[in-house]
Amino acid sequence: MTENSIAMTILIFLGVAIIMVPLGKKLGLSSVIGYLLGGILIGPFCLQFTGRDAEDIMHASELGVIMLLFLVGLELEPQKLWQIRKRILGLGLSQMLLSIVGIFIVFYIAGFGLQKSFIISLCFAMSSTAIVLQTLKEKNLFRTVSGESSFSILLFQDIAVIPILALLPFLSKSQKAIAQADHEKVLLHYIPEWFQPFTVIGAVLALILLGRYIFIPFLRFVSRSGLNELLTAASLFLVIGVSELMISIGLSPALGAFIAGVMLANSEFRHELESNIDPFKGLLLAVFFVSVGATINFDIIASKPVFIFSAAFIVLAIKAVVLFGIGKYYKMNNEQSFFLAFALSQVGEFAFVLINFSAGLYLIDYQANSELMAIVAITMCISPLLLIFKEKILDKRFIQEKSEENVELGIIKQRKIIIVGFGYFGSTVGRLLKANGIRSTVLDNDPDRVALLRSNGFNVYYGDATKPALLRSAGIEDAELLVICLDDPEKNKFLVDYTKENYPNIKIFVRAKNRLDAYEFLNKKVDNIYRETLGTAVDMAVDILKENGMRKYTARRMGKRFMIIDKAMTRRLAKEKAKNMITFTLRETLEREAELLALDSISFEENHWSGDEDEDK
Amino acid sequence: MVLFAHPYFEHSTTNVRLLNCYETIPNVTFRDLYEDYPDFHIQTFRERKRIVDFERIIFHFPIIWFGLPPLLKLWIDEVFDMRWISEGQHNILSGKDALIITSVGGSENNYSKEGRYKTSAEELLTGLRVSLDINNIELKKIHIIYNADNLSEDQLEVSCRELAEILKTE
Repeated sequence: MTENSIAMTILIFLGVAIIMVPLGKKLGLSSVIGYLLGGILIGPFCLQFTGRDAEDIMHASELGVIMLLFLVGLELEPQKLWQIRKRILGLGLSQMLLSIVGIFIVFYIAGFGLQKSFIISLCFAMSSTAIVLQTLKEKNLFRTVSGESSFSILLFQDIAVIPILALLPFLSKSQKAIAQADHEKVLLHYIPEWFQPFTVIGAVLALILLGRYIFIPFLRFVSRSGLNELLTAASLFLVIGVSELMISIGLSPALGAFIAGVMLANSEFRHELESNIDPFKGLLLAVFFVSVGATINFDIIASKPVFIFSAAFIVLAIKAVVLFGIGKYYKMNNEQSFFLAFALSQVGEFAFVLINFSAGLYLIDYQANSELMAIVAITMCISPLLLIFKEKILDKRFIQEKSEENVELGIIKQRKIIIVGFGYFGSTVGRLLKANGIRSTVLDNDPDRVALLRSNGFNVYYGDATKPALLRSAGIEDAELLVICLDDPEKNKFLVDYTKENYPNIKIFVRAKNRLDAYEFLNKKVDNIYRETLGTAVDMAVDILKENGMRKYTARRMGKRFMIIDKAMTRRLAKEKAKNMITFTLRETLEREAELLALDSISFEENHWSGDEDEDK
Repeated sequence: MVLFAHPYFEHSTTNVRLLNCYETIPNVTFRDLYEDYPDFHIQTFRERKRIVDFERIIFHFPIIWFGLPPLLKLWIDEVFDMRWISEGQHNILSGKDALIITSVGGSENNYSKEGRYKTSAEELLTGLRVSLDINNIELKKIHIIYNADNLSEDQLEVSCRELAEILKTE
């Protein structure tokens, strides 16, 4: 079975994910466990669908982690990131140092030798960005204290990988190893040694400049072509390009993707990029988790079960204690500290990288390499279970301050209104709202208009709003009002259908071209319908009435009356149209209106009024 | 039925507070005229059909420039029909009763013959009182809240309790 082509392997991976994840969900487990179980199932020790190539696939699918960080970056504006810099430094540094010290002491006492223990502690101090971020997303915890703290720590770890990777070769006494390490880096090699620490800063600066002066104009240029596929291609090109660039200069690709994301968070393409990258990220992450499951070497575990499991649990325990302590030190409550402790206690995917790297440097032997990998994989499998344990058991005991948990920190704040379409119609709506200080998220698919509006301070994003993914990334899940102002009635109808079906609680305001569109919207149970022809036409008629000698006040009242009657009429006719009994001709419609006009008598000028049935000419 | 009319309701702490009173009282339909007719286009026919169902009308409004809020005045103009009070005609309002709850900015002293305005608050309501009277609506009580612009929290509490008492008037 090991002779499978890559495509076949991916097929198996996805197949098992499709089966295992819904099963896991049914049992109340997170998707990560589903993927991992699926991986174990198809791995060499169960069904033997995959061979060594699982590891290659794991490396390939690490791109999923990179994309995940890019997306996280997209949601963080640079100013916000700057605001939480102290948190990142404080939480991250203390977590790393304390965990390293704790793990080092334990392994040193267990007789692993100074150097080996040190490397192990470096590797094991890392947490899994993929698992934690996936969990945060799934449980919608990004905006909470514990979510933000977890994220800060992860971010610091991502940055810390770089100096660690640079440090490891110096630990190795073998010249050959250094040569090999240098061989792996391409550009870094040519830079003088004293300058190497500055490459990080240089690369970050370069990315910031690239983001501002190259990426955005580039995306604008592509979006003008009006082809959706092209923008998807450009998004992928951007993410993969940045990560390759970072790899080539020897830095963490995930960090590069994250910075690129942050740089683009302010641009109008934010939501479009999100919706383009998101499916790829999901897919690749799924494959990544499955491959983690598949690479667990059960032979090694079986040969030394006590050592592997006790090591895994000791590592988990040390990290959890450290994290809990940090949580407490930063004045979080029990619930938040427990979350931090359990969510981040596993060893992450960076450990795979670091362990393999160390093995390549002969810092640890092959046997130890496999053992360590097994420990990492076990901790990754256990951590989702720990979170369930925390939710099911600890929360019941310790929650007193639940409400505090949901305090928004304002890192990512979704506005409550989404306006779709910002042409002549939508922009009028948006301007009046803005003039009154009501903020809204606007989606429009004309790149020139978007650029113009953005330069005037509107919160506009580029994209085709009839794509559900764009709506999702614009935050339709927690939006309260959806204002649909597209020019094309068919697109408006599609949006109404889609929203009604998937987000029934959102209040919809829709622009209707004419009476016939209005019927359809009414029958789709939309209450707020705005016929673009009604108000203006009535205004015009009112002015003509004035020209005919009617008192202006009376003319205005007649206009108002007409509008009310017309709206009531439209509602009534829509019902009848829904029953499909009668199709009204315009003539009959007019007769009905006249009838209604006659019904609604008024106290003044009654005689005058009754003779005025043809007012709506 | 409570007919509440206040053009600057959001700036009136007193009335925001007083309206809470109505929530606890059963069989009250509360109507905020400035919310129902933001464009001053009163739907006369609908109003007339509705008014038949109520035994009591509670007019609740601030006195603005010594008169009724314009929308309340307009509501009366449009809904009340001159023909109802002519001889031999049936008047749908006949036999109902009414309360007037009103707030003014000035002190009670100012609203007196000797005071600053040389007139009492009751007198300012003459138009409304006569309109009710001629339609055979019995005015049970006029409740005037003075100094409505700067009442302390304690005074508001007192006002609320007073209003609750008045609403129980048989």
